[in-house]
Amino acid sequence: MGIHSNKDLSAACAWATAMVAVVAVTDSTLLRTILGGPMVLLISGHVVLRAFGVRSTSLPEHLAYAVGASLATGIAGGLVLNALDILTPLGWAAWFWIVTVGASLLTTIRHEDSDLPSWPRPTGLRLWHGITFAIAVLITTGAYALAVRDEADQQQFKYVEFWMLPPVNAGTDRLTIGVRNAEPKTERFNLEVTLSGRPFAIFRSLTLAPGDTWTREIPVPVQSTAQKAEARLYRQDDNRLYRSVSALVPGT
Amino acid sequence: MALMPADSVAEARLGSLQGWVQPVLAVIGPDLYGDSIETRQRSTSFGFVAVLCMVAAIALLLVVEGHGAGRRGDAAMAMLWFWSGVVLLVVPISLRVAWPQVARGERFFLLFLLVEALFYYKVVHSPTSFVGHDEFLHWIAAADLMTAHKLFLSNPLLQVGPSYLALEIVTAAIADLSGLSIFAAGTLLLAVLKGTFITALFLFYEKISGSARIAAIGCLVYMSCSTFVLFESMFSYESLGLVFCALIFSIEAASQHLVGAPRLRAVGLIVLLLSALALTHHLSAAYAVIYLGAVAVFEALRRDNPLRSETKYTAFVAIFAIALPLIWMEIRGTHIVNYLGPVVEEGVKNLLGKFHHLFADRPVISDASAPAQPFGMRAITLFAILFTAVGLATGFFRSLALAAPRGDRTGRLAIKDVLGRRWRESRLVFLALLAFGFPISVAFRLSIGGWEIGNRMGTLAFFGVGVVVAVGVVHYWQRRSPQSWRNIVPALALSIIVLGGVTSASLNPIQGRYKVGADEQSIEPMGIETALWTKRWLGPGNRFTSDRINRLLLAGYGRQDARVAVADGVDAGRIFRAEQLDSDAYWALANGPIDFLLIDLRLSTALPVLGFYFEPWEPRSAAPLSAEALLKFDGIEGITRIYDNGFIVIYDVRGLHGHS
Repeated sequence: MGIHSNKDLSAACAWATAMVAVVAVTDSTLLRTILGGPMVLLISGHVVLRAFGVRSTSLPEHLAYAVGASLATGIAGGLVLNALDILTPLGWAAWFWIVTVGASLLTTIRHEDSDLPSWPRPTGLRLWHGITFAIAVLITTGAYALAVRDEADQQQFKYVEFWMLPPVNAGTDRLTIGVRNAEPKTERFNLEVTLSGRPFAIFRSLTLAPGDTWTREIPVPVQSTAQKAEARLYRQDDNRLYRSVSALVPGT
Repeated sequence: MALMPADSVAEARLGSLQGWVQPVLAVIGPDLYGDSIETRQRSTSFGFVAVLCMVAAIALLLVVEGHGAGRRGDAAMAMLWFWSGVVLLVVPISLRVAWPQVARGERFFLLFLLVEALFYYKVVHSPTSFVGHDEFLHWIAAADLMTAHKLFLSNPLLQVGPSYLALEIVTAAIADLSGLSIFAAGTLLLAVLKGTFITALFLFYEKISGSARIAAIGCLVYMSCSTFVLFESMFSYESLGLVFCALIFSIEAASQHLVGAPRLRAVGLIVLLLSALALTHHLSAAYAVIYLGAVAVFEALRRDNPLRSETKYTAFVAIFAIALPLIWMEIRGTHIVNYLGPVVEEGVKNLLGKFHHLFADRPVISDASAPAQPFGMRAITLFAILFTAVGLATGFFRSLALAAPRGDRTGRLAIKDVLGRRWRESRLVFLALLAFGFPISVAFRLSIGGWEIGNRMGTLAFFGVGVVVAVGVVHYWQRRSPQSWRNIVPALALSIIVLGGVTSASLNPIQGRYKVGADEQSIEPMGIETALWTKRWLGPGNRFTSDRINRLLLAGYGRQDARVAVADGVDAGRIFRAEQLDSDAYWALANGPIDFLLIDLRLSTALPVLGFYFEPWEPRSAAPLSAEALLKFDGIEGITRIYDNGFIVIYDVRGLHGHS
């Protein structure tokens, strides 16, 4: 026995209006996801199916068709919004509102009988079934959290980043030098900078804890010809050359 | 010893041959032994459903533990946890779905549970970001779309990408409206797509076979397609395209008995979905053309067609299926033949080469760079192929018999009807013939060059394989009033077939240590940090080139303009692999658009797992790249090393352009 009414269309229009309001006034991801997700993936397709007058024989069939019609509606929306140059959150909200309200009005004007497939009534459902299902959901959610933690903990390579940016990136008449420690322990370095082979700056005993970043901007004299700046990083423990980087200082 | 007359010998031989042939014919023959068990009204066993939900949850926890152990470098424990989880996930649900006396709703729910669990299985491999090669390409396109608020932006890493932006459009709609990241929005979309696909496939099979049991088993078999578990779960255009295909097939099959306005409305919905498909994925649109075109042809060929209007409707739909993608390609100026042609050519060449070596009187040259799988995975894949082949052999003629007009004519008479172009269901006849694509796709998968064609062929062929094997299982293996072994053995074989879908989906599905040239297994935090460094310190949009993996990271995380070619006709691989920077390469760097080179010295530690460092068409290496070759840019005037972390180096080549 199907459902014969247009309450679903009224609900869809209310949903679309609420979505437009929420997108316009709040950045709450939760609220916007609750309203926006079903609109893009299901509701707009449902009203389009109603407008088409396509009948389905079961709830899964109706839901599958509604998802397909929603996706097609979204794709059409992308083309229209792109043509109108409003491919923005508010543009999307307006598009889905227009589709939902427009298709609902069309269905109402045409006096289309909904004849939606009815929800199946579960018989034989017990409390322990529900509890088992809830525990399964908890385990699955927990497992996902575990996967995220494992991924965050993975650090196969231990390294120290060392860089020198030329004036074109660092700013006129200056170089930027940086060191970041991605080793699991504190590291100590000495740093030496040369300009066209001549000593230019020295930084001693740079101490970087795991995850620390040290940067410095160094003003450089600009000459008529290009100069090559080089920076060398030495480990303080053994004073051996550890890394070396370079940059071009353009001439005038 | 008495001599036997010649005719007696011949008779004896014929008798022996008949004795041998008869059982074979009984196995493959068209007789339908199944009954309509599934049509009897049964209620869902919520007890089974609840327990299987719990089993699936525990199985997924084991899979996550397996990945965790792999990340920590404990390969043995990783294998144990991971594969225990996979077996626990697939086998119990498959057994229940394939069991004869199960309610339709329960079968459908369990299929839905399995398909979403397999999607979860795919996502927990990398739970916070996309890692597949193709996923990066679409992630980059979606990020560009959301940044520029414009469609059709160029994508140097996927030339046809700007013409097929439907996935990015829908993802952007979800992300814009919800405020979710592209990864979260894309994952939500994919979860819905997987559920929609299995629903549409189930309904499609049910409509054409008239049996929920055949439909459910057919869906299980489809899951063994090598592209189903991972490839079609990726954030990539085929994941959306295939869902449109399944929906179109399902609606088209469901609408065949409608007449008048309801039929026109259904056709309207099909045309809407075909339009969306034309903008989604070229190959999926081709699948729709093949299927709908074939249905139209079979309807035209069919004799005793009670509804001649059916022929007109199917032809009408087929014309739209052909015209819409062509119109879209014309509007966009997309030359899909240039894009797919070389892949098809290479695949066919490789397959022919294999056959040539097979029949030539000389030793077969083994492909040294063929990536290897663990023995257990290969064994399961082989058993899955074997069982699928057996299912096809026992299901092919029975599927044709099922498609024949219903009445007193059964068995061989039904086949005679089909050969005389009298059938009830054109779709089933075509799907039975389509299943022949399975052995061809397996043959293509035997060579590296043909692997991609075999994979993509399988996606379409399995629409036929699914239903044919299901008919074989229901109408031969399980039969009417099945004995206990006929319940258990086919269900177990189906479990292995589904497991084959997992094992054939990737070389090594367990998370582990970094590997050279292994796509997702080459993506790890240090490479990502380096790409993020480029965005923070150099800003987005710089023209970079690098190896295949770092290009993706630079474009995705670094938001850089990562390019394959250094200059027209000069690929990065050629410059990076050369021992010296010769004058041609120097000229390309000096006059080309590239500003930065990112060199990953880890490439010098091993041969690439997939056989190539830069692009699939590069010559296969016998030895790893040398570190000296990779660092040859040191000391070249105009090139400076602006970044070094001991593994990855960035060179600034703007000095060659005279810009800096």
